[in-house]
Amino acid sequence: MVVTCSKEHGIGVIQVGKSLTSATTDAFREQFSKWQSVEPDVKNYVIDLKQVDFMDSAGLGTLIAVLKCVTEAGGDMKIACLQKKPRMVFEITRAYKVFEIYDTVDEALKMFN
Amino acid sequence: MKAIFHVGAAHPWADAFAGVPWALLPIANRPLLDYWLETCAEQGIDHVQIILGDGADQIESFAGDGTRWGIRIQYGFARVGERPLDYVRQSHERRDDGLLFVGGPFFLRRRKAFHAGGFQILEACRFNHADETWFLFGKTAVEVETLLAGDAGSSRGLEQIHIHPFPIDRMAAYYDLNMKMVRGEFSRYLTAGYGMADGSSVGYNVLTPPSALLRAPIIIGNDCRIGAMSTVGPNAVIADHVIVDSHSELSNCIILQDTYIGQNLEIHRKIIFGRRLIDPDDGTVVEIDDSWVVARNRPDMRTEDFIRYCILWFLALGVSLVQVLPFLILYPLVRITRIGAYRRQLFHDPKTGYIGLPVFQKIENRRSVVYTLFRAAALDRFPWLVLALRGRLFVCGQPPMRHPQDDDIITQLTHYYPAVFSYSDYNKDNDRLADALWYVHVRSLFEDVKILIKSLLHRFFRAGR
Repeated sequence: MVVTCSKEHGIGVIQVGKSLTSATTDAFREQFSKWQSVEPDVKNYVIDLKQVDFMDSAGLGTLIAVLKCVTEAGGDMKIACLQKKPRMVFEITRAYKVFEIYDTVDEALKMFN
Repeated sequence: MKAIFHVGAAHPWADAFAGVPWALLPIANRPLLDYWLETCAEQGIDHVQIILGDGADQIESFAGDGTRWGIRIQYGFARVGERPLDYVRQSHERRDDGLLFVGGPFFLRRRKAFHAGGFQILEACRFNHADETWFLFGKTAVEVETLLAGDAGSSRGLEQIHIHPFPIDRMAAYYDLNMKMVRGEFSRYLTAGYGMADGSSVGYNVLTPPSALLRAPIIIGNDCRIGAMSTVGPNAVIADHVIVDSHSELSNCIILQDTYIGQNLEIHRKIIFGRRLIDPDDGTVVEIDDSWVVARNRPDMRTEDFIRYCILWFLALGVSLVQVLPFLILYPLVRITRIGAYRRQLFHDPKTGYIGLPVFQKIENRRSVVYTLFRAAALDRFPWLVLALRGRLFVCGQPPMRHPQDDDIITQLTHYYPAVFSYSDYNKDNDRLADALWYVHVRSLFEDVKILIKSLLHRFFRAGR
């Protein structure tokens, strides 16, 4: 599981690699928490799912947990570049009502500004 | 006249329904092949040749010898690399009295109620799609030969008898056709179940709680269970043996047979087949591994079943050890007072076909303390528990199905777990078939223990009432 974290205009951009399933969620949370501890001043996040071609309920649950964690800390989280197959899972589980979803990372970043 | 249906050619869009040959894909809850055979029966075509490819056994199992339609069906196999029309060209003897040929997923879509004359007035014609002949019709050998030689036939084609040729060449076409049917065209065909004035059709043995909302137009197959607070429709095609769990919303969708739809889902503009989620627009397929979201309704869980069986066996041993002494005391008293006795009845058995089980029956309709105690301690099931310990029955599961009363139910069950205790022990109003299908889906150690405890408690508190 490769999670690439960067900071743009004070907003954390988390790029997730390949799939987000029960096999990879622990690694995702671990790497995300580690980066959070290194960058404590970052409150807002964009999760870039461009490379994620598959997601199961565990992956979805992890994203919801991260959203909860971020909003409790006074920040916000948006999702960008949601691919076709994960989007179908988002649609049937009504997760699209929980998250703000944008086509590109730039669009998501603009919404924070 | 004879008919040749070539269903052996592969069509990539249908790969999403792996395990179901495209000829058996449902259109408004009836397999495509069923419409073709119905047309033959209506038009007096009594001899049909079906050329098989992948899924041959399923097609043969569905169509059989054609008795259901009053026609005679024979089977052949497609050769590798053979184009559908090549088969017709090589079989001269089959087109002497004219020929009806269908060579692809082709729907004879009726634009209005079928003309009584039908194919009697239809001029020789063919329908080509993607460089292949998918439909060909000629009333004489000469007409057929002319068409096979490359003649286009009548310019009016099938439209002459108010049939719009509908090739199902991609997922979007399959979805579109089903939506057209549910929106009001399916009444032009023979349909199963109850037809409503609002354009809906609901099959037999469909359970819907008062809080579930069915919004027309919808087509629901047989033996379905709709959960509480769910909304089905508009424009939903639900096949047979589908379970929709509570708080889910289904619209503009096709749910194929034996599918479980989990709680609180929103199924809009999707096709769902078991655990496969299909986007009708581009045919994208997503396999869902979470059985609580969507799943095949009849899962195979041999390891879990074995573990569950072993644990339940020890529970049954405990219950029977507690019951043995009361049974030895109370049963002689029951016989002496002539309040009840065991009668042997014939039930279906998954291993041997049939099994005779002792069923306790009350002989005299009068109050008796002995009888109340006997029932309250569930001692009437003691002989069944002994049979469960001997491996002849399950401890918890489906109610044993009687022969011949429950023969229809047995034919619809692929998993049959005749058991000592079942849902019917504490909920007698429920439908047996729906309960049996439900148990197959939700069976687990937790569910079995729940059935055991609720059955024993229900008997204890309700005995004598």
